[in-house]
Formats: sequence, C-alpha cells, structure tokens
Amino acid sequence: MPIDRTPADRLDAAVDALLAGERAPGDAGLRAAISVAELLRTTLTPIPPGARFQAALGERIHGARFGERTLRAVTGTTRGRLIAAGAVSSAAVGVGVTAFAVWRTSRRQSGALHRLHR
Amino acid sequence: MTPASRATRALDPRIDPDAAAVRAAQRDRRAFEVLYRRYVDRVYAHAFYALGDHHDAEDATERTFLDAMKGIGGYRDTGAGFRAWLFRVAHNTVSNAMRSRRRRRTEPIPDGWDRPAPNADPAALVARAEEGRRVLRAVRDLPLDRRQVVLLRFVDGLSAAEIGIVLDRSPGAVRVLLHRALRDLATRLEG
Repeated sequence: MPIDRTPADRLDAAVDALLAGERAPGDAGLRAAISVAELLRTTLTPIPPGARFQAALGERIHGARFGERTLRAVTGTTRGRLIAAGAVSSAAVGVGVTAFAVWRTSRRQSGALHRLHR
Repeated sequence: MTPASRATRALDPRIDPDAAAVRAAQRDRRAFEVLYRRYVDRVYAHAFYALGDHHDAEDATERTFLDAMKGIGGYRDTGAGFRAWLFRVAHNTVSNAMRSRRRRRTEPIPDGWDRPAPNADPAALVARAEEGRRVLRAVRDLPLDRRQVVLLRFVDGLSAAEIGIVLDRSPGAVRVLLHRALRDLATRLEG
C-alpha cells in the first residue's frame, strides 16, 4: 500500500535527487519550488577559504596538538617529580629572598653604626 | 523526547564515515587534522554564505575548528554522526557572529560567484553574476530559520535528519521549513 507523502516530503526527496546530480522527479505541484532548488544548487557553490588562511589555521591546530602532547608527556610521566621540583624551587626562592633581606638589613645597620662612631 | 533525539532516531542506520578519524582524534589530537582537512571548505562556505564577508567567515571557521578540537574528547556518537555535530558547532559560532554583526549593523554582500571560470563567455558571466546576486539577496531576506535550512541543505549538503540535529528540530519540521523556504524564494524571485 503506497504511503501518502506530504508535499514537504516529496520536495525533500526531489532535493536529495538534485544534490546527488540526478534529475528531480516531475511533480506538477512542486514545479516552482524544484526550479528554485535547481537554481540554489548551481548558485550556492562551494567557496574554498584562502590558501594562506587554511595553512595558518592548520598550523594553529598542529601547534595546539603539539603543546598538548608535550604537556601530557611531561605531566603524565613525571607528575610526582614535577610537584617535588615545584615545592623545592618555591622553597629555594623563599630562602633566597629571606637571606637577601637579612643581608641587606644587617648591611644598613652596620653602615649606620659605622657613621655614628665617626 | 526532544526534536533532536527524534531526528537521531529518524536517521538511517549507517556507519558514520568519520567514526574512525573521530576515535583516532579522541586518542591523539594528531588525527584531528584529518577531520579539519575534510571539512574546512564546507564549514568556511557555510560561514561565508551566512555572514557574507570573508574575514568574518574566516573568524567563524577558525573558532569552529578550535572549539571542535577542544570538545572532541567529549563527543559521543548518538547516531547523528560527527558531521552533524561539527555543523552544530559551526551553526552556534555563526549565530553568535550574526548577533555581534547586528550590534555593529554591517551587512556586506558576498561576491563569491564573481570568480570567473577560465575561457568563460563574458556576457554569460555578467548574467550569471547578476542572477547569483539576486538569488543570494533573496536567500538573505528569508526569515532566519528558513535561511539556515537552505544553507545547511544546499551549501553543506546535510540531510533533513542531520539539519534536525543542528537546529534541534525534528526531520519533519526541517522538511516543512525547506518547503516553505523554497516556495517563499520562488515568490521573491518572480517579482
């Protein structure tokens, strides 16, 4: 038993045929819509992006991938070491800054004492 | 059930031609480049016809692929396929660009069909370019939902079911929109 298809269904099937490069079925009720579909198929042709843009975006995608892989490689294999190294270097910076502050303060004090004695 | 899930169920059972490349990209982003090369032309064309400006189309294309690459890890094929997912990302990007365009109030007319074919008849070229402009102007004057369906169908070659995924509508609703859009265009182009 044939299925009663709506005009929208029949038009969609005709567009499928047109886009596949076939002839659309002759449907008197849809003639105007099908000729517009044919016009759109020939007018809305693919427009490739500029080669320079395409290459630059390809490079960005390539670069993002490289950065991500590098990060994953580093963090995946030596996460513990990275944390330890981070902690040690933070501590080292802290010790260094404190030592510098102590050294500067003591220098100023000794300078002031020296000037007093003169 | 959402229209999109109805659309998913309505898709013919098929193997997504991108499935292998998507799985590879999820394991290692190196493979995303394959998907990029496969779809860059169509995403760009979609953005260009929707936005009507090469620079805006390039921006939208770039954002689409960078977002898609970021989101590929979370992509799950629910039957609609990668292509519909990618064009959903593109559609959202283009919609945002259109909103920002409305704020700036600029509306350039694309000139894509002005590229002459070698050895083409000049008179035919002029006529074709003029007709192209007339058709595109008519497309651009369509209400937004009809315009989107026309572009996704004719520029990107998506099926009604795939467009349903992109626009979150049922395939039946997409077919009705397409029917109305083409009838509307026929009337506009007659006048």
